Amino acid sequence: MLGLVAPSIAFLALFFVAPLGFFLFRSVDNSEVPGWLPRTVTALARWNGAGLPEEAAYRALAEDLAALSGSTALPLLGRRLNHNVPGFRGLITGTGNRVDLRQAGSMREQLVSLDPRWGESTYWQTIRRERHALTPFYLLTALDLRHGAGGELQRVPGDSAIFLGLLGRTLTISVVVTLLCVLLGFPVAATMAGSSPARANALLILVLIPFWTSLLVRSTAWVILLQNQGVVNQALVGLGLIDRPVPLIFNRLGLYIAMVHVLLPFMVLPLYSVLKGIPPELMRAASSLGAPPWTAFRLVYVPQALPGLVAGASLVFVLALGYYVTPALVGGPGDQMIGYFIAYFTNTAVNWGMASALGTILLVVVSLIYLALGRIVGLDRLAVR
Amino acid sequence: MLKTPRFCIAIAATLTVLGGVALLDAGAQTKFTVGNAGGSSADAERKVFYGPFTNANKIQIQEESFNQELAKIRSQVETGNLIWDIVTTTAINVATGCEEGLLEKVDWSKYLDPRLFREVGGVSECGVPYLFVSGGLAYDGNRIKEGPKTWADFWNVTRWPGKRGLLYRAEQTFEVALMADGVPPAKAMEVLAAPGGVERALKKLDELKPHVHWWKNGAESITLLASGEVAMSYAWNGRVASANKTNNLNLKMELGAGHVSGCQYWAIMKGSKNKDLAIKFIQYAVAAQSQADFVRVISYGPANRDAYGLLTDAEKATLPGQHMDKASLQLGKLYLGFWLANGDSLLQRFVKFAAQ
Repeated sequence: MLGLVAPSIAFLALFFVAPLGFFLFRSVDNSEVPGWLPRTVTALARWNGAGLPEEAAYRALAEDLAALSGSTALPLLGRRLNHNVPGFRGLITGTGNRVDLRQAGSMREQLVSLDPRWGESTYWQTIRRERHALTPFYLLTALDLRHGAGGELQRVPGDSAIFLGLLGRTLTISVVVTLLCVLLGFPVAATMAGSSPARANALLILVLIPFWTSLLVRSTAWVILLQNQGVVNQALVGLGLIDRPVPLIFNRLGLYIAMVHVLLPFMVLPLYSVLKGIPPELMRAASSLGAPPWTAFRLVYVPQALPGLVAGASLVFVLALGYYVTPALVGGPGDQMIGYFIAYFTNTAVNWGMASALGTILLVVVSLIYLALGRIVGLDRLAVR
Repeated sequence: MLKTPRFCIAIAATLTVLGGVALLDAGAQTKFTVGNAGGSSADAERKVFYGPFTNANKIQIQEESFNQELAKIRSQVETGNLIWDIVTTTAINVATGCEEGLLEKVDWSKYLDPRLFREVGGVSECGVPYLFVSGGLAYDGNRIKEGPKTWADFWNVTRWPGKRGLLYRAEQTFEVALMADGVPPAKAMEVLAAPGGVERALKKLDELKPHVHWWKNGAESITLLASGEVAMSYAWNGRVASANKTNNLNLKMELGAGHVSGCQYWAIMKGSKNKDLAIKFIQYAVAAQSQADFVRVISYGPANRDAYGLLTDAEKATLPGQHMDKASLQLGKLYLGFWLANGDSLLQRFVKFAAQ
């Protein structure tokens, strides 16, 4: 028995668990700072973080930066520290390429004369806080938190606090889309399950056709249909139903329409496969025993449909969480989802720590939701019988 | 499964032929790969640069899509699996890639005359400019007869009612907001980088925000204008000109209001096996004649100033030529330093601001 599943387990371990673990680790990995500034972090460990560090720390930093001078590690270190304090990149590269170890006199004076920011405690405190191989920085930022000057946790100022809101919005949109898919998908799947094979096939193809169209094309098609000068608004105005175009797209409504359209097949297909297996005799038996249609539906049909519903809903929910192309095309500025920033940090900003931290938070939140649901619904009830 | 010997022979024969074709192919032509922006600009590059160059040099140029994700360059160079030989990229990526050792450094003065590129910010050791993009005020000339002249007019929704299209990004949009607030375009970066500059830009954007339709890619700005969804929009000049040409539109650009302009650059991937060929290709692509031909197809400005001499007045109409004094340039120490340091944090602030 184990022998048969061993290849799939090995495959999962190699191509799913290992990369996932690697990316989760990136959200706390901080090997660059202690790796590239070994003398500085040792010197700063002895500093209490108040005021400015001693001459020895300035000397240590100068030696570390001089060792990196001219190499690509210098701008990369700058990039890393720039995540904490904007401007750190220029400070590191500017100092590293000009510092002169042989010059006599105080190193503090030399560094401050190269860039007066070395006379500010912020930059020193940041290096001191980031001196360990692991850092909570990215995860805290993903939760809109940061360390204050004295090391205490504080909320990020309102105009930059963005990620908790994005997370909440992402979850809300995904839940609403899932509910809409259930409401729209259930009647379709039930009709298909109750039809003759030929009709069921025809309906199946209708469900699948949009499934084969590119996501981009479908999203753009909705823009053409729903925009102010679009077909739907023009028709409504032409019929005299409305005086001026109503905003149907580039807002939350448009986003729900487009996302439900894209994700509906993921609800219908698993549901259909389960509903097809429910013997029609059971409903008839319920009626013959005196149950009104609604009661029979509620007590006989729905419990048997539950595995399909849960499978479909989980698929739709998880897929919806990762959406960012569709919100970018059909949503407004208040409809961007967390995937937008994960993609931005991964590709453009090359800040994998932040990308991983946002992914980690999302993973944790979703796992908690599933655990809670499992408790409430009872996972054992979901097995297909 | 393979019971019949004939079947096996057929397969073997097919493989041999395929292998032979592959060998022949490799023998005759060098494969040279470009990472470019795709779409209409790649079409123009194919027509003007890649086509003639491949014919003359018996090479094969392959194209891959690159949307300025620095991570794509970094991952190729760091893993040593180079897919591209050259890329078309922005000033910010040239500067970062150069510093971080992702792009080849070349002494370009040996291969071309750097003075010809001085007006557009010059040649850097890691990148040669080949196209000059201007983002400016655009509107539909058929819908608006008396057009806006300044960015302050763009903000004036009483005189010109209707939505306004703006780029969903901090960079460029902040500069435009400062111009609307009365800052001379050439000073926009200086004001933005000074203390209080960002707040000033956000405050100005806040006035217009209820009327703004944010767009995310260049094609969107054109459809918004063409459909009348917005009355005016920030748009890139090449897009506007080619929409006028291919879709018979009458979109107008008021570059005199002030524009945000910068170059696209050719850059050679660090460790490219075809470095010499890449240099030869870049020399070809930035020569005055190629540049003028390119402008005729794409309608972006040339980087080589000698190309202007080969263009007619009509061809220069959407080019910023006589409005260069009204530019906020996307190059230089101040611009690069400011956006490299603050790009990420300002994007976050901007996204938050736009959503409120």
